[in-house]
Amino acid sequence: MILVVDGLNRHRYTRILDEMFALRARVFGDRLGWEVEITDGKEIDHFDALDPAYVIGINDDGRVVSCVRALQTTGPHMLADVFSDILDGEPPLRSGTLWESTRFCVDTDILERGQSRNSVSYATCELMAASLEFAKNSGITDIVTVIDPVMNRVLKRSDCAPYDYVGKVTPMGKVSAMAALLDCSDERIDRIRRFAGIEGDLFVDAQIAEALADAPVPARPSVVPFETAKEPVCTKAALEQYCVEQMRDARTHEELSAAKRLCEMLLGQVMPANRAGPLASC
Amino acid sequence: MSVIDLSKLPSQESNLRNYLDTVCETYELDYAAYAGVNPIAQTVHGFVNYPDEWQTRYIRQGFQHKDPALLVASRSIAPVDWQRLRGEASFQTIFRAAHDFGISEQGLTVPVRGPYGDVGLFSVTRNCSDREWSLLKANILSKLQSAAVHLHDNVVRSQALTRQLTHPTLSAREVEILQWVAAGKSQQDVADILSISNRTVEVHLRSSRSKLGALTTAQAVGRAIGLGLIYPY
Repeated sequence: MILVVDGLNRHRYTRILDEMFALRARVFGDRLGWEVEITDGKEIDHFDALDPAYVIGINDDGRVVSCVRALQTTGPHMLADVFSDILDGEPPLRSGTLWESTRFCVDTDILERGQSRNSVSYATCELMAASLEFAKNSGITDIVTVIDPVMNRVLKRSDCAPYDYVGKVTPMGKVSAMAALLDCSDERIDRIRRFAGIEGDLFVDAQIAEALADAPVPARPSVVPFETAKEPVCTKAALEQYCVEQMRDARTHEELSAAKRLCEMLLGQVMPANRAGPLASC
Repeated sequence: MSVIDLSKLPSQESNLRNYLDTVCETYELDYAAYAGVNPIAQTVHGFVNYPDEWQTRYIRQGFQHKDPALLVASRSIAPVDWQRLRGEASFQTIFRAAHDFGISEQGLTVPVRGPYGDVGLFSVTRNCSDREWSLLKANILSKLQSAAVHLHDNVVRSQALTRQLTHPTLSAREVEILQWVAAGKSQQDVADILSISNRTVEVHLRSSRSKLGALTTAQAVGRAIGLGLIYPY
């Protein structure tokens, strides 16, 4: 069964997420030897701080057996910022209907061989079908996914061969990585389901979702007002600071008027130079 | 698709509102709203086509500071159906009030994340049964995703600084495909010429349109020529 954890409910699934980060550490750090940062046995990078959506496979005992992470390609994502080697210096694809999927893995320690519901093969197909269904139900048409050659073979063998690749196969630790394109179409989802004999709804219902959540803790506000977002304020202050410095350091009239023009463009106003003081604290 | 092109229009305020009207008309929706935060330019933009009385009430009561359709939805990458927000304390307050102005609680918010920490939230509503709503949603979500990105990019690029930062960069493949389209080749022709799948051509064209802020491929070709990215044929 599949649970989707995202920015809206992640505060209720710390146990599940910790298990997922530990699984990622074993797979990407130990087994594949990718250069990932592992702290306390958990592999967490800065994209995990951006509220991605995790599609997580869970077995009947409530343990995490597979996971994958999705991000929009319109904003920061791994192909744009980390895996640029794969794209050979080319800019990444960007579209409102294209998501990036990364960190796809299954737990080969817990899962068995063969074709049963507890097999590596079934769990892999279930996660593939679920991630494509989740994307499709969100209005997404295609996924660009960063995978290794083993996963690429698994995709082909499971009747889910990528329709194309972008960039090139690039060395990444003990193995290499590549970026594959998958359509989130009913045909592809049906093919995977048929291949693995997956039937019915993949996603957990409200009751199981509740049972998988952490033990209840005292309520806390889940709504963060815009005002508490401190970072933008700092950005503005930094810009102002920069403008003030430009004006202060201007040695000629041309430099001063250029600095004023820049200031007007950046901030929409002319900054009096004496405001330099209080801004420096940011 | 008859949705208007925002960047072509002279006065932004009223045109964003027109855009929302066109989206509603095209996709059989009642109301639409956009709210965007641009941390670089330090601006917050909001455009809605809700009834004026509701807008006044909304602002007067400071609902924008607790509306889960804005604050909670911005943490999702997928469109957030408002059914998922019913548990939020502020949901009942705001939607009971909205109900008096004929605004349904059947709606969703499409979150858009830009490259510089900018976030846009595009919301739509439609007064209908749960069944109708899920059918409509399945039909239009993909188009709403594209519309949301188009809307957000245009608002963000209306700022001088962010416009400087967001000069479109196309990959060699995207340029190659647009160049063949400019030469009059169909999508299937391009696929055959380059020995790639039709779907690969499609995904690159979608990306090029998004990067160039264009709604149609013809428009993307025009802009790419204008920017000197491809040659006129």
